[in-house]
Amino acid sequence: MEDVQKQAKARKTIKTSKLSEKKKDMISGYLYVAPFFIVFGIIGLYPALFSIVLAFQEWNGLGEMEFVGLSNFAVVLQDPLFWKSLYNTVIIGLMGTAPQLIVGIVLAYFLNLAVIRFTNFFRVTIFMPYITSMVAVALVFGVFFSSNETALANYVIGLFGVDPVSWKTSEWGAKIAIALMVFWRWVGYNTIIYLAGLQSISKDLYEAATIDGANKLEQFIYITIPLLKPFIILTVFMSTVGALQLFAEPTVFLGSSAFSRDEAMTVVMYLYRDAFNLGSFGTASATAVLLLIIIIGAAAINTWLTSGIGSKKKRGV
Amino acid sequence: MKKRKNQSKAGTLPIYLILGFTSLFSLFPFYWMFVMATQPSAAYNSIPPTLLPGGKLVENFQKVLDTIPFFQAMWNTVLLCTVVTVAVLLISSLAGFAFAKFQFPGKNFLFILILLTMVIPPQLGLIPQYYLISQLGWLDTLMGAGILFLLNPLGIFLMRQYISESVPDELMEAAKLDGCSNFRIYWSIVIPIIKPAFATLGIIVFTLVWGEFLWQFTVLRDPSSYTLQVALASLNNAFRVDFGMLLSGVFWATVPLIIIFLIFNKWFISSITEGSVK
Amino acid sequence: MKGKKKFLSVLLLSTALVLAACNGGGDESSGDGKVKLNFWTFGATNYDSLAEEYMKENPDVEINVKTSELGDHHNSLFTSISAGTGAPDLAMIEVDQLDRYREAQERFVNLYDLGADEVKGDYLDWKWNMAESTDGDFLFGLPTDIGPKAMYYNVDVFEEANLPTEPEKVKEMISSPDQFADAAKTVLDETGKPMVDSMEMAYRANMDALEKSYFNEKDELIIGKEGNEVKDAYDYAVSLYEKGYVGNYEMWTPEWATALNKGDFAVEMAPAWLKGYMTENAPEGKGNWRVSTLPSEFAGNWGGSYVAIPAETEHSEEAYKFAKWLVSPENQLKSFEESGLFPSAPSVYEMDEFVNNEDEYFGGQNTAATFAEAAKEIPAVYKGPKYVTVNDEVLTALRNVQEGADPEKEWKDAVKRIEGLVKR
Repeated sequence: MEDVQKQAKARKTIKTSKLSEKKKDMISGYLYVAPFFIVFGIIGLYPALFSIVLAFQEWNGLGEMEFVGLSNFAVVLQDPLFWKSLYNTVIIGLMGTAPQLIVGIVLAYFLNLAVIRFTNFFRVTIFMPYITSMVAVALVFGVFFSSNETALANYVIGLFGVDPVSWKTSEWGAKIAIALMVFWRWVGYNTIIYLAGLQSISKDLYEAATIDGANKLEQFIYITIPLLKPFIILTVFMSTVGALQLFAEPTVFLGSSAFSRDEAMTVVMYLYRDAFNLGSFGTASATAVLLLIIIIGAAAINTWLTSGIGSKKKRGV
Repeated sequence: MKKRKNQSKAGTLPIYLILGFTSLFSLFPFYWMFVMATQPSAAYNSIPPTLLPGGKLVENFQKVLDTIPFFQAMWNTVLLCTVVTVAVLLISSLAGFAFAKFQFPGKNFLFILILLTMVIPPQLGLIPQYYLISQLGWLDTLMGAGILFLLNPLGIFLMRQYISESVPDELMEAAKLDGCSNFRIYWSIVIPIIKPAFATLGIIVFTLVWGEFLWQFTVLRDPSSYTLQVALASLNNAFRVDFGMLLSGVFWATVPLIIIFLIFNKWFISSITEGSVK
Repeated sequence: MKGKKKFLSVLLLSTALVLAACNGGGDESSGDGKVKLNFWTFGATNYDSLAEEYMKENPDVEINVKTSELGDHHNSLFTSISAGTGAPDLAMIEVDQLDRYREAQERFVNLYDLGADEVKGDYLDWKWNMAESTDGDFLFGLPTDIGPKAMYYNVDVFEEANLPTEPEKVKEMISSPDQFADAAKTVLDETGKPMVDSMEMAYRANMDALEKSYFNEKDELIIGKEGNEVKDAYDYAVSLYEKGYVGNYEMWTPEWATALNKGDFAVEMAPAWLKGYMTENAPEGKGNWRVSTLPSEFAGNWGGSYVAIPAETEHSEEAYKFAKWLVSPENQLKSFEESGLFPSAPSVYEMDEFVNNEDEYFGGQNTAATFAEAAKEIPAVYKGPKYVTVNDEVLTALRNVQEGADPEKEWKDAVKRIEGLVKR
């Protein structure tokens, strides 16, 4: 009898402690995400709401705000420059961002190989572009891609028999130069994120696979990539957002003519011009809202696409 | 055994070539920055471009020191970057841990809400953010300059991924059975495991804050509270730029960051070789 | 329980950090009875050393001078004026940016209320007028420097073209836009070099001299109207281009700097501040350039600023006192000598140091006197708040023309784009 009672008591205790454990987890959950949301509440919420409200107003920054309903959106959507800037942003994004992710994985894989020496040195150098100040980057790329025949970029393409290009002012020249700048600056950043991801994969898996007779390439495809997938999704997502919000690289590259030319104007540059050069904060905010919608859409698509990686391969494993 | 060694050595040569080329490609602008820091201003515009260092290393830097409170700004920057990095690491890992390992209602909604923080371009949010910081009395303070960087969704995403992949559920179960509270688990188990992620996120945030200009420039008005990028900006006078001086300032402002990167890098490596709890 | 304690201690630690961060800022009020003034400047000025001098003579005043780049400075100023908080006690405002704030007059202190009337006579009329409201009752700022345009010409190129090289003779030779075009022809025929470095300069030749260009004082767009002089300026630039007198060197690019060094174009129409740039960045050109006055049709101003006092200040009188001292003729002379800021107080032009000024870079010529002469012919100009962006559209049109587009079509397209922009 006592045993049964003891067992019943034990079961009860287990049950009750499990319940409160779930509750405990819930409380912990909320508690631990709280700091982030507190910060957001302080510094993130107000500007976000302000911008959304502003999209429906006409405001020059100094005077009174005037409610204008959807007309800001109409103005922006009917402006050919808006669409041009969107086109520019997407093209530069594809050229500059997509390669950076692929190269990043490859580089991270190389750096992670046990046989490679001097990894520290390579790690530092590959990360250097991210550390180098934008001022310096702009100056260097500005000189490298200047319109002169003796500019280094023109010299290089001259070796392939191509005529000198006026980089800062040509339709494709500007985009290529900026895409290269973006690639250069961010490839190291993505590499070290992938490196961190690679670290989280247990070496045991590779050993087991080698014993099973899989070669390096097969291991890469069937172990590394699928397990790296969350990090790939992460970087794809961040890069998509970053590419659509591109502002710094074109602005510093083009310098004083950044807001007067349309070859390399990005969407954020377009809205910046509206706000600070034209005194039209309403249309700028409307553009920001439109961009938000585009970003959510693009990020969703990209994330869905990248989650497709590895699911086919799972069959192989 | 000998065969294997030779094979792997031959296979590694192309890899070294690729890595080497990438390094050159990455280092070149930094090298050029150094060259310009040692040349007089006119060298910037020279056609064809100057590629070898000159002799003005000390002279240019002296000009920098004469014009801006360089070391004061550097101290401010180090302080700001350190505080922000520590804060971000804590906030992100806590939240990442919660998202990875706990169930609670509204979890997915909150996760998506985080995405919204990324969405307002900083250039547009500037005025309301500035207004807010000013009203809170945080102009010219570390808090005012730093708080914006705490809103770093990358941190949460990264931590969540890393934790869900490298902290086994069984480990947590075992700890709980031993009577550990959630916080104890976080502090004594999770944190040691995610050190490489800490090192990665840490250097990203540190670099980000070190190099950021717009917000710090807007919030910091008093020269004694300047950070490096803000101080360097006063070297850039549109019509009379002394490129040698400017690039010297930029160069020396970057060097400490490289040193710090090396430290983070060591931390990254040592935490890997320590191995995980496995 | 242990877990909770640890969590609390972490929370306490972070709160401590936060508090430390909060206190790490500057004091707002001066506990020691000093008046603290924040002064925002841009570009290369000697205002920080002048501020120090002022502080020595006025120990109860503390002045914090913050210097930044032109664009950053104005954006920051705009941000604080817009948010209505955190603005400095004194700020430099560049002449092109002034019109942005006209609508928000009430956010600045009316300097007439502080007695600015008494110094009005010390400064050039046109410069003073530009800082007044249209009805003349409100003064935004005190004049600092001006940018009177003159003609920098390359001696070697003129010599090669068998043109006179003495400043006086050059002035005689080129005293109208037509004569300018004639000289350009000679230069092209004899040396093969373009007269002017870029389309922008050819356009600005006339543009900078227009009293009303894109907007009238009510901010109505007048560019499309009949007889608008902007079109004339545009046509003039196009005609110079079509005859081959215009080069392809965009200002501030390395190619342009090299061209300056080597004398690849004959003439640069720019104000005194270009001197500083040339001395620093075009050392090989030393001795090869001189300065002459422009024909009066081209007499214009490019650059220059004012010192304004945002209404937020708690020390308007102290601020005004300092501003008045800062731009007094004696101090304008100092600013000229130390930073090349061209004075806006005509009395300075008579001062010894000014009259005896010799410029080594320009072969010993007293360039200051030339600029002073130019300064007197400049008209007061109204630009309007959207000036810069509208100007960009015209410049785009000109660039397209240089690349072979049809001038009339480009003009019409530009006007259309401008009309769309202005509606925002």
